[in-house]
Amino acid sequence: MGKSIYGLMAEFDSPGSLMKAAEGLRDSGYKKFETYSPFPIHGMDAAMGLKESVLGWIVLVFGATGLTCGFLLQTWVSVFAYEITVSGKPLFSFQAFVPVCFEVMVLFSGIAAVFGMFALNRLPQLYHSVFNYKRFAIASSHGFFVSVESDDAHYSEVDTTRLLEKLGGKHIETVEA
Amino acid sequence: MKVSGTPLTGPLAEKLPKIAAIVGVLGMIASFVYYTQDHHRFFYSYLTAFVFFLSIVLGGMFFVIIQHLTRAGWSVVVRRLSEHLMKNAGLMAILFIPILFGLHELYHWTHASEVLKDHLLQVKAPYLNIPFFVARVVVFFAVWVWLGRKFFNMSVAQDSSADHSLTLKMQKASTYGILLFGLSLTFSMVDWVMSITPHWYSTMFGVYFFAGSAMAGLATISLLALILRRAGFLQDIIRVDHYHDLAKLLYGFIVFWTYIAFSQYFLIWYANIPEDTAWYHMHFMGSWNTVAVFLILGHFALPFIGFMSKHMRRNLKVQAIVTVWMLFMHFVDVYWVIMPNIDTSGFHASWGDIACFLGIGGLFVAVLFARMRTVSLVPTQDPRLPESLAHHT
Repeated sequence: MGKSIYGLMAEFDSPGSLMKAAEGLRDSGYKKFETYSPFPIHGMDAAMGLKESVLGWIVLVFGATGLTCGFLLQTWVSVFAYEITVSGKPLFSFQAFVPVCFEVMVLFSGIAAVFGMFALNRLPQLYHSVFNYKRFAIASSHGFFVSVESDDAHYSEVDTTRLLEKLGGKHIETVEA
Repeated sequence: MKVSGTPLTGPLAEKLPKIAAIVGVLGMIASFVYYTQDHHRFFYSYLTAFVFFLSIVLGGMFFVIIQHLTRAGWSVVVRRLSEHLMKNAGLMAILFIPILFGLHELYHWTHASEVLKDHLLQVKAPYLNIPFFVARVVVFFAVWVWLGRKFFNMSVAQDSSADHSLTLKMQKASTYGILLFGLSLTFSMVDWVMSITPHWYSTMFGVYFFAGSAMAGLATISLLALILRRAGFLQDIIRVDHYHDLAKLLYGFIVFWTYIAFSQYFLIWYANIPEDTAWYHMHFMGSWNTVAVFLILGHFALPFIGFMSKHMRRNLKVQAIVTVWMLFMHFVDVYWVIMPNIDTSGFHASWGDIACFLGIGGLFVAVLFARMRTVSLVPTQDPRLPESLAHHT
């Protein structure tokens, strides 16, 4: 049984050529490809044809939940469970609830943002195939890379290699899964 | 990309200042007619309109200073617009003169007979007395006019000399500039607005007006850029990315205003000390309560939800609506703070309010657009202009 193939990887010499490569792959209909660079490149999302992240909506839902929970908790505690009059104010003093509502909302939103981001990125991962590509070590200092996954509908070892070559890719290799 | 340093031309440069000047003069005449009818209330209307337009000047000044202080690159393309707003400080100094004639109408502490009966006012008299008050007025305007001229002149001088050391000088000036700005804004609002109710005090008051001013300044910068864009100016220079960043800052200051407004209310509500709560009692009286709720909804809830999305912030039509709306809400805010002192039973609009608004506003717009004819709309030789032109959010 031979080892399965993760896909093809190629190196590019600049952020500009990486961007062009991403646009080329996007325009050729590729969906399952990824770009790697030592720093974020503005406009890369559009060049790769990525859809907007749903993270914002997750944070919104959790934030609204936190707000509601904080409000209901305080209402239950102060109005129903422990009817203690504080400094002569009504039991239902919503003004006093505001800071806690705000904090619980921020807490829920923050947790949703961090763990939602991890879930959407599928992080942490103990193993990833791209590290089988020898040159990938310089991705954190000065390397710009593209990986095309073998289960993309357009993937074919010959055609994809040719496309990557045409787009200016170097050191094009198949990478084991 | 080469930026041509052309000043404003066309109808915005030729017709608008004239029309605005006519509106301003007619507004001032109408204000005077209102003064002859109800000279007591006139000064409150006038102060409201004055504080509103002053806050735009100070908001513009804050924007300019903070950009230099942080050595920001992205904002260079819009900086000249905020410099124009800031430079209107001189006009505001002249427009303050009528208020000097209304000190007795506006400020309870100017009445010697009242002070004699009032222990608290006697204690505050070393600060709240007319000579010292007028001296402070002079100091505040001296600071604003001086800072405005300093930053404006250096920035304009760079357009022709391309001298990069001017950028360093402006950065240096921004350090003490921000201190002078913060102190003068705080104390001016304590003097002119908070001392209308001399028994009451709030350490949040200066920050409250700062938050509103910064918000109004950002909204005006953005609106001004959109007006110029519509007339065909700066279309490739101030791009959606810049509007997006202005919108983020605007949103931030909308929330900051809410935070400060609530903090001021919350501590007074909690402590429940009569001399503190009296102010809110007055501002929640009758239909003023409805205005307060309208502020919470219109100044916070509506823009907070409606302007949260990136798509809304990058939509220039939405931004035009939001900036106009926020300026309107800022006026409601200033009106709600000042007018309950005279309309004690509830909200009661008068044609005099509109006259004062148009009088000051007309002159403000006339001077603003007339000045835009004289210098380039963009600081063309700023060393960070290429960074700003390439700005991408």
